[in-house]
Amino acid sequence: VLVLDMAALLRGLRAGRALRGLGSATTPQSSSLRRGFHCAALRLQDESKSDKPPSSSTTYHEHYRAHTTEQHTTAASYQDQSGEQGEEYETEEQLQARILTAALEFVPQHGWSMEAIAAGAETLGLSSASTGMFYNGAGDLVLHFIAQCNSQLTEILAEQHKQVQLGQAEPKKTADFLRDAVETRLRMYIPYIETWPQAMSILLLPHNIPDSLKHLSSLVDDIWYYAGDRSTDMNWYTKRAALTGIYNTTELVMVQDSSPDFQDTWNFLDNRIQDVVNMAGTAKQVTYSALSILKNLTGVNQRR
Amino acid sequence: MAASMRLLVRRVIRLSQRNINVTAAGVSARSGCCQGPSSCRCFSDDRSTHFGFETVPEEEKAKRVYKVFENVAQKYDIMNDAMSLGIHRLWKDTLLHAMHPQPGARLLDVAGGTGDIAFRFLEYVRSQQERQKRRAMRSMQTPSWQEISNNYSTEDEDGPQESRAVVCDINKEMLKVGKQKADSLGISAGLSWVVGDAEELPFDDDQFDIYTIAFGIRNVTHIDQALQEALRVLKPGGRFMCLEFSKVTNPVLARLYDAYSFQMIPVLGEVIAGDWKSYQYLVESIRKFPDQEEFKHMIEDAGFYSVQYYNFTGGVVALHSGFKL
Repeated sequence: VLVLDMAALLRGLRAGRALRGLGSATTPQSSSLRRGFHCAALRLQDESKSDKPPSSSTTYHEHYRAHTTEQHTTAASYQDQSGEQGEEYETEEQLQARILTAALEFVPQHGWSMEAIAAGAETLGLSSASTGMFYNGAGDLVLHFIAQCNSQLTEILAEQHKQVQLGQAEPKKTADFLRDAVETRLRMYIPYIETWPQAMSILLLPHNIPDSLKHLSSLVDDIWYYAGDRSTDMNWYTKRAALTGIYNTTELVMVQDSSPDFQDTWNFLDNRIQDVVNMAGTAKQVTYSALSILKNLTGVNQRR
Repeated sequence: MAASMRLLVRRVIRLSQRNINVTAAGVSARSGCCQGPSSCRCFSDDRSTHFGFETVPEEEKAKRVYKVFENVAQKYDIMNDAMSLGIHRLWKDTLLHAMHPQPGARLLDVAGGTGDIAFRFLEYVRSQQERQKRRAMRSMQTPSWQEISNNYSTEDEDGPQESRAVVCDINKEMLKVGKQKADSLGISAGLSWVVGDAEELPFDDDQFDIYTIAFGIRNVTHIDQALQEALRVLKPGGRFMCLEFSKVTNPVLARLYDAYSFQMIPVLGEVIAGDWKSYQYLVESIRKFPDQEEFKHMIEDAGFYSVQYYNFTGGVVALHSGFKL
């Protein structure tokens, strides 16, 4: 009966979700989405109208790829794809990212602040008033930095992964891999370590929490992905929770660390990773012994 | 003879509607190709515009607006307080807060007659500078000798990092009132007063970090031309900010607002400033001004990027902001 009930409940839930989906499709809320499609369609049309119609889909793909890679290369790729857009063509987001990247240079001097962004904008030949584009101010700067560090780490890990696959490097043990990944990531904070506590406090402001959590979860997820984790069960959650805990506590230790080259921090990290490995072993033993006790009690084992 | 010839020529031009764009481009002598069609679209073909709810020839609007502000200049600030119940101060403060100018920024306040924005700007920048100095002091409580000597050498460089505000208004009377106000407040450093038309600003290209126009663009005959000028005088990365009465979105509030503005404001104008007509014009011109979205599109058409607007007091006033990139 219970199982039947559960099944019915699930079915009901699914139907409800489908209904909600239908409802939202007809409400005006989706109009912005539709407009987006419309715009994309228009743009495609425009591109096909301009000199070379057959390659419109490839240019589109290239555009997309270009967005995700470095901005410096985009100007060139835009130029040789469609001359009329030229090198001046740059989206607002790309320019904003460029300003924020330039601003990082001034963080040790001005802290994570509007002043740093203004100084960064000025190095690009823009007026300090362009800081007004960043509604979230210092929050945007910190989040940009974190996103940059994350993608940098992903690149490094992907490179290592490739080398292992090509057989040029020995595959690491999971514990070592995690330790190295976290260390590599935390070392990116070293140039800004003096002002990092300020950045951490900015990340904890209520309006920044959703984004900072998103970045943290994607970081942890990427590390586990390259560590070779393909679990789809409860393990997935526990692994990520454990690594998040390790990462955050090590970050806290690092902020207060005054030892040469942050040696204390890396020791701390070693110990925490070891804890998790031990705990996983213990957990396995516990479940194993619990299972065998259960089996013995129920008499399942006696049949053999 | 010459005068009558000129009159004749002018009439001929007005009759031949095709020529309008050409003459408009000729006057501004700049990028006629993109100004032509837009001015054609925004204003009807017979070169008339609205003055409040009246329709008047274009050249007459400027004169009549000039008259209005000449009349109200002396009582302008008192009337602002009376009409908005003092809320206009909050709107202007919010504008400054959104602007968040950095020390060293240069401001052009167009239609800034009595200098409300400029005074606030200088005040804001000064407090900002003091805050930075305080922070620097705090971090330098135990300086090394090296830092002290560095300090001495960099002290001279801080000098030119001074913010400047230029108040530009077409109306001399308003500027006069503003100057008197500045004298009584004791603000003189970094402030200058210029008589100039928002459609033809007497400044070079790429001069200012921030362009503000608070409750002024409504009175400009060719709004698109004023926007083009704003784009021209701003530095790359500069910011355009416009505070203007806009459309109230909440129907209940809109009803109240309409009643208040049509029944009360002209009366207040008559009682305080002795001028019913000017305040009748004020109320009507607010209704004639494009709403938030439409004005946003106008700013985008002029060539500004990341244009956004914020409604204050339920849309009574909207702050539009755009960037020259």
